[in-house]
Amino acid sequence: MLKTDNIEFRYNKKNILKGIDLQINKGSFIGIIGPNASGKSTLLKNISRTLIADKGTVYLDKKILNEYSSLELAKKMAVVPQNTEISFNFNVYDIIMMGRHPYQKRWSGLNEEDKKIVKEVMVVTDTLKLKNKLINELSGGERQRVIIARALAQKPDILLLDEPTSNLDINYQGEIYDLLKYLNQEFKLTIITVSHDLNLTAQYCEELLLLKEGEIFAAGSAAKVLTEENIKKVYKAEVLIKMNPISEKPFVTVIPEANNKFKKERYKDFKIHVIAGGGTAQNFLYKLDNAGYPISIGVLNVGDADWQVAKELGIEIVEAPPFIDISKQAIEKNRKLIQKSDLVILSDLPFGHGNLANLEILLDFPKKKKVLFSNHSIKKRDYIEGKAELIWNKIIMEDENVILLKDKNNLINKVKELENVEMEM
Amino acid sequence: MLEYKKNILIYLTAIILLVLLGVAALFIGSSDINSKDVISYIFNSSGVSVSTGIIIFEIRLPRIVLAFIVGAGLAVAGSVFQAIIRNPMVDPYIIGISAGAGTGVMLALFLGIEIAIFNLNTIPVFAFLGAALTVLTVYQLARVGRKLPVLTFLLAGVAMSFILNSLMSFLMVLRTENLQQLVYWLMGSLAGSSWNDINMILPYFLAALLVIVFYLKDLNILLLGEESAAHLGLNVERTKVILLGAASLITASVVSVSGSIGFIGLVVPHITRMIIGPDHRKLIPLAAVIGGSFLLIADTAARTLMAPMELPVGIITALAGGPYFIYLLRNKSKNIW
Repeated sequence: MLKTDNIEFRYNKKNILKGIDLQINKGSFIGIIGPNASGKSTLLKNISRTLIADKGTVYLDKKILNEYSSLELAKKMAVVPQNTEISFNFNVYDIIMMGRHPYQKRWSGLNEEDKKIVKEVMVVTDTLKLKNKLINELSGGERQRVIIARALAQKPDILLLDEPTSNLDINYQGEIYDLLKYLNQEFKLTIITVSHDLNLTAQYCEELLLLKEGEIFAAGSAAKVLTEENIKKVYKAEVLIKMNPISEKPFVTVIPEANNKFKKERYKDFKIHVIAGGGTAQNFLYKLDNAGYPISIGVLNVGDADWQVAKELGIEIVEAPPFIDISKQAIEKNRKLIQKSDLVILSDLPFGHGNLANLEILLDFPKKKKVLFSNHSIKKRDYIEGKAELIWNKIIMEDENVILLKDKNNLINKVKELENVEMEM
Repeated sequence: MLEYKKNILIYLTAIILLVLLGVAALFIGSSDINSKDVISYIFNSSGVSVSTGIIIFEIRLPRIVLAFIVGAGLAVAGSVFQAIIRNPMVDPYIIGISAGAGTGVMLALFLGIEIAIFNLNTIPVFAFLGAALTVLTVYQLARVGRKLPVLTFLLAGVAMSFILNSLMSFLMVLRTENLQQLVYWLMGSLAGSSWNDINMILPYFLAALLVIVFYLKDLNILLLGEESAAHLGLNVERTKVILLGAASLITASVVSVSGSIGFIGLVVPHITRMIIGPDHRKLIPLAAVIGGSFLLIADTAARTLMAPMELPVGIITALAGGPYFIYLLRNKSKNIW
């Protein structure tokens, strides 16, 4: 129903849109995303005829957009602008009734149909109880719902929204998108929304359109568009994509520090290598990172709970695919990291076939300082018939640099102690 | 329905007050006519002396009617300008439109082109040309890209006012024969009003008023901002041009008889908005009634306070309106619409 044919738009001699081809079908729910200045708002304004493309054409229901009269267009398309602040005090009912403007004759009063439709949209948007309130008395979320109600009173086929939640608290953000989704599903309303919030759009929109520097970089389902690779290319940021278990939609998390150019200065000169797995390190990884220690970790299975935390923290990881023995290369990589470190921490992880190499490797470093968690007996953590226990005992007996830690909570203090000893030497 | 009744009550009160004021003003004046004569003139024009009749019907009454028309016109024009510019600090006087109209009139008088075509006096036409040119210039000067910042708009208006006022002073110096009259006119005065004045401006005034009444709903929509208004199906540019033109014509028609009377166009729309809210369908008619009443009071004061000397009524309205403008500036953070 809506089509853009290679539209280009220039502003101050700068190309904001560089040829956008779009085909939007009736009943779609589309989220336009992209970094600042990628042209997402400009694209929306070209679709809504607030701006006129320098090149290319926009078609609405097979008719050229510019050929619609203002009134005709207002009956087909409604727009919720980015800034919905209204600096004068109309009451909510009057504001919503203004949405009927395209249908009203100049002199006719309010007819029954106008009243009926306004009441309907107030019910749908849950604004009936605000009816007699003044627009400036409302909260941000309420005001946004009123503006959406006004747009709906136009009885449009398409609803365009520019950053509908950018000024709202998180509870209202979900509320607005819930409403949009309901309108899309219940009334087959075509919705196009511009947003900088990747996660909200990913959760709610059927399709995403990722813009980069005025061009379409990726389009399709959220899972297809929101990949770590795409986001790295478009936003120049390291992110971690998880799946939201409830909606099975991707969820983007920024990896702290991964993009931080000031990182080095903050870090202490005391490197720690962690051997862990199964979520046994997730607690203290945060603490160590917060305390400013440079951390490496390995070998971890991809997808492991500790692996996720390490990814989020932007820690250097030696990783291996799950369910198979750790490869030689991974062990070598791990060895190099241990060599570089000042301290090795072995968490209270269980040992099996797959990760025995993580324990064995400690035998090769008798001179490294080691902190071994001993809050759980090795017997209980040994799943390979005593092999792990054997190595464990060997380390404890022969290695003079082993420190056993019974209380996990004491780790940070212990590490600090060791760091100070190191400094004095 | 409750609100509906409340609004009717507001209108009734305003109109009754206006009529009372108008009647009261008939009794007041610099020449000493006793009230009995006025009353008997109203009910039965015989029985009073010819001169008394002339004073009441040819001097006081047209002046009362004109005061009402001018006050109402300025208030309506002010409301329209405030809605189009979406700023409550705009008024035809402050943004130089009155000065533009005045300059048009002065030029017409100076060049001696006062021609009547089909019984229509052309003075208001010159006033309109001056006003329209000024509005256009100020608008273009103040425009920054696609936006119209309030501050630049006010500054451009004030600057245009200065330029036009000095132009008027210059024309006045050149044409010294009826200087005092012109000075009065420049300060805003209704002295010497006659039925002729009313006949002269009424066609223009009514035509412009009709256009505005036709576009009342569009004014409400314009208040939402130009983008939103366009999305609601309003042809924004055309509506703006028509409404700016109509408001300029109203300003021009009243300025051509009264000179630049300031601050009514600023203060009255405000007070009216406080009473009845921002909906122009209710606001504009009430603003007209209140504006008319306001100028009627001010003008009655102007002709009696220092009788037999006349004060230019512009002095009185400015004395009342200036402080209010300062108050508005100081309260910018609050919601002043």
